[in-house]
Amino acid sequence: MICMTVNGRAFDLDAKPHERLCDLLRRALGLHGVRVSCSEGECGSCTVIMDGEPVTSCLVLAMQAEGREIVTIEGLGNEDNLHPIQEAFIEEQGFQCAFCTPGFIMAAKAFLDENPDPTEAEAAMAMSGNICRCGAYPYIVKSVMNAAARLREGGSVSNTG
Amino acid sequence: MAATTEATGHRSAWRIAGKGIPVKDAREKVTGSLKYAVDLEVQGMVHGKILRSPHAHARIVSIDTTRAEALPGVLGVVTHHDTPQNVWENAWFNYRGKILDGIARFHGDDMAAVAAVSEDVAEAALELIDVEYEILDAVFDPEAAMLPEAPQIREEGNLRDPYVVKWGDVAKGADEADFIVETEIRFASQQMAPLGRNACIAEWNGDRVTLWTSSQTPSELRDGIHEAFGIPLSRVRVIALPSGSSFGNWWSANFMLITALLARKVRKPVKIELSNEECMATVKRRHIEISRGRMGCRNDGTLTLAEFDHIIDNGGYGFKDDVGFFCVDNWGRAEHGHYAIHGVNTNLLTAGCMRAVGDVTLGSVVERVADMCAIRLGMDPVEFRLKNQIKPGERLRMQHSRQYMKGSLEQYLDGIPEEQRQEWPKLFHLSSGSTDEILRKGAEAFDWSSKWKGWGVPYAVDGPRRRAVGVGTGAHVCGVEFEGNVSAVARINPDGSAKVHCAVGRQGQGSETTQAQVAAEELGIPFDKVEIETGDTDSCPWSHGSLASNTMYRVGWATRAAANDAKRQLLEIAGREFFDSPRHELDVVDGVIYSKDPNKRNIRITVEEALNHFRGTDALGQASSITGRPQGPMPPASTFARHFAAHFADVEVDIETGEIRLLDFLATQDSGTIMNPQVMKNQMIGGAICGAGFAIYEALSFDDDGRILNANLLDYKLLRAADFPLRGDVIYGDSYDPVGPFGARSAGEAPAAASGPAIAQAVYNAVGTWVDMPMTPENVVTALDAVH
Repeated sequence: MICMTVNGRAFDLDAKPHERLCDLLRRALGLHGVRVSCSEGECGSCTVIMDGEPVTSCLVLAMQAEGREIVTIEGLGNEDNLHPIQEAFIEEQGFQCAFCTPGFIMAAKAFLDENPDPTEAEAAMAMSGNICRCGAYPYIVKSVMNAAARLREGGSVSNTG
Repeated sequence: MAATTEATGHRSAWRIAGKGIPVKDAREKVTGSLKYAVDLEVQGMVHGKILRSPHAHARIVSIDTTRAEALPGVLGVVTHHDTPQNVWENAWFNYRGKILDGIARFHGDDMAAVAAVSEDVAEAALELIDVEYEILDAVFDPEAAMLPEAPQIREEGNLRDPYVVKWGDVAKGADEADFIVETEIRFASQQMAPLGRNACIAEWNGDRVTLWTSSQTPSELRDGIHEAFGIPLSRVRVIALPSGSSFGNWWSANFMLITALLARKVRKPVKIELSNEECMATVKRRHIEISRGRMGCRNDGTLTLAEFDHIIDNGGYGFKDDVGFFCVDNWGRAEHGHYAIHGVNTNLLTAGCMRAVGDVTLGSVVERVADMCAIRLGMDPVEFRLKNQIKPGERLRMQHSRQYMKGSLEQYLDGIPEEQRQEWPKLFHLSSGSTDEILRKGAEAFDWSSKWKGWGVPYAVDGPRRRAVGVGTGAHVCGVEFEGNVSAVARINPDGSAKVHCAVGRQGQGSETTQAQVAAEELGIPFDKVEIETGDTDSCPWSHGSLASNTMYRVGWATRAAANDAKRQLLEIAGREFFDSPRHELDVVDGVIYSKDPNKRNIRITVEEALNHFRGTDALGQASSITGRPQGPMPPASTFARHFAAHFADVEVDIETGEIRLLDFLATQDSGTIMNPQVMKNQMIGGAICGAGFAIYEALSFDDDGRILNANLLDYKLLRAADFPLRGDVIYGDSYDPVGPFGARSAGEAPAAASGPAIAQAVYNAVGTWVDMPMTPENVVTALDAVH
């Protein structure tokens, strides 16, 4: 049994010994916004925030999350109550197919928590741990800059994000 | 016809068409709630895994599944002994074969499959299938595979009939030229590298089967199941879910048919979910292409001759004889020329249509040879393009031998009504648009005239770093009539909302939004009351899907025609019931029906009121909902539409390390009316980045046994956010297509073709020599060493 906090709620979860955090979150909690693509930490699609740090959850064993606090895209906002970063991604159209989008948004969240007033170049570098095969990069970076402005202006930050 | 009544000036009156509305599924996308096939489960589902060949070319001598079947948790195994021996094909001959036939044609080919209670058990069972292979001679080089003595990979032989187009008199074209330039380029194979992977769930109920999978081509997958299993189309239902970035990977794929085969065997729903490596090494890739190009030119810069010979490797299961030559047509002002394609099988992973098929590769050769002419003349490449590229109404070259789409050319002409034959644009002539306007606008916005310093001359030198600019153009088709025409159904509901059914799938480019814009504008119903079903073959009429840049132009035409038909019915009944007017005196705006007759201006009926009224009174029962569909085929002129891109690149090349940095990039495009600029800019920049990847980073690497060495995102390098200029502004041409919906043509592929040539030319201007693609640091240094 693994105890962890996910999106502000405590869970005791059964995990297989070799189970990855991304698989546990998808299987046990139905958090399909945790996307799994490359399974080797290259694409960043499965990025979640663990104790405030962004991690590629395909490279984290479920048991390594014991006692940790996890935030996934589902914890950031929902369709009725979007997080400012999500609103910014819509305004700038920072996606196409959007398979990678939750990962980018979680990476942006962790980045903006550290650096609330970045330059475009800093934002581009921070987003370079993730891959968008559709190639929405200029608009992803604009989304991050837009989000930074919203957050500085006190955009309503709700939920556990 | 439409072009005369709907001038571009009418654009200002549109309420929905042409507007940068956020995509319909934006909230699902940013919250992660959008479901792809990998996310789906159905009740009682079990899991499948595919046994893959360890050899590039081999025949199964014996296969024993006893040990696998005995493993606890295994429900069943399928081999070629369980497989219907029907051949299935997918669109444009990207795949042709049986589901399983006991022969491996590439390393990783599908040989058998296991269904089990979990993926882990299924995987373990694969190890317990005992296979004895007879290893066959393999051939990997496309030119070697063309030789008569080469190992033959398919029953039909390796070689397809050459696909040849000739025009004018090649000898005359050479005589008229003051000089001739030629080159040969051998390209590497690009991988779709589809972020997002894919899965398929198949379930049989009696003799009916349902498939859920991420696909751009639901109709075509239904056709494939029908062919392979020999069952009526009425027993096949495909529900296509959104895909991740597909670029052509997720049409119909053999793993989907294997899923159906396994599910039939074990009589349970089966899900096969591909790993990232399987997505990259067992489905499809861009062809390896070898191209020889030759152009003749006069000293005044007029092209007289254009000749291209092109080899495409189809891998194991591709069956193509043609990749299109829209980029050649872009330079078709040359009065004499020929174009030939040779399709050939190799024992490499199946190759097929990847974004801008042919135009990324052959287009790069065409642009290169044209640049070589301009170099010889010392002519500005923008000017050379303006002078020699095709303009609207001018003769296209390719349709000479496009007859196979509908029998002979005569049959094609016979098959269409007389009035359509007379329509403008004339057959075999470019319908509308060109690179002309976008080259001019782009050059101005990019400040080309001050950055361009001449051929092979950088505009700045800083130690080992050279900076220079380049321009490239690309073109691609706007859908092709192939295996059938597209259709759509538009339904107006009793509450005044509408739903359009068109089988285009959802690969992320925003089709459901742009199709809804077309329908809403035509119907006069608010955008947020119009929804689109794109994936369910039980409700969507046949369509090619979103491939060959069909979606906006051809499917959009069908969507508009269906909406127009529904509106016609609505106004006919409303005219009779409320206005005492013929329908042409009525219109609908914002969901309200009104009369254009000044005496009846006070009558206002909402669509909802009208439908509810009809529900009680309409004896014909036609108005509980209204269903519209296209009332005729798409005009034949549609075959002669193109979309065009012109890209401008500013690069820095380090001549010591060979590293290329993209400093600035401007994308311009002529796609007729831009249905949604927000969607469009992503298609343009995304296409540019796809082409840039081909130009500077991406190449599959094969070992001596034909195995892919870099089928993962660690070793197969893709551009990232910091690798591409952040400037996101784009420029649109202002042309208006006479056939496309509201003057729109297509969008997504020309930009992938234009960026590589722009970057290659910029690199040439920086270092004074051409560099092989992908222009990796190694290839840059190799090219420089060859010169010095």
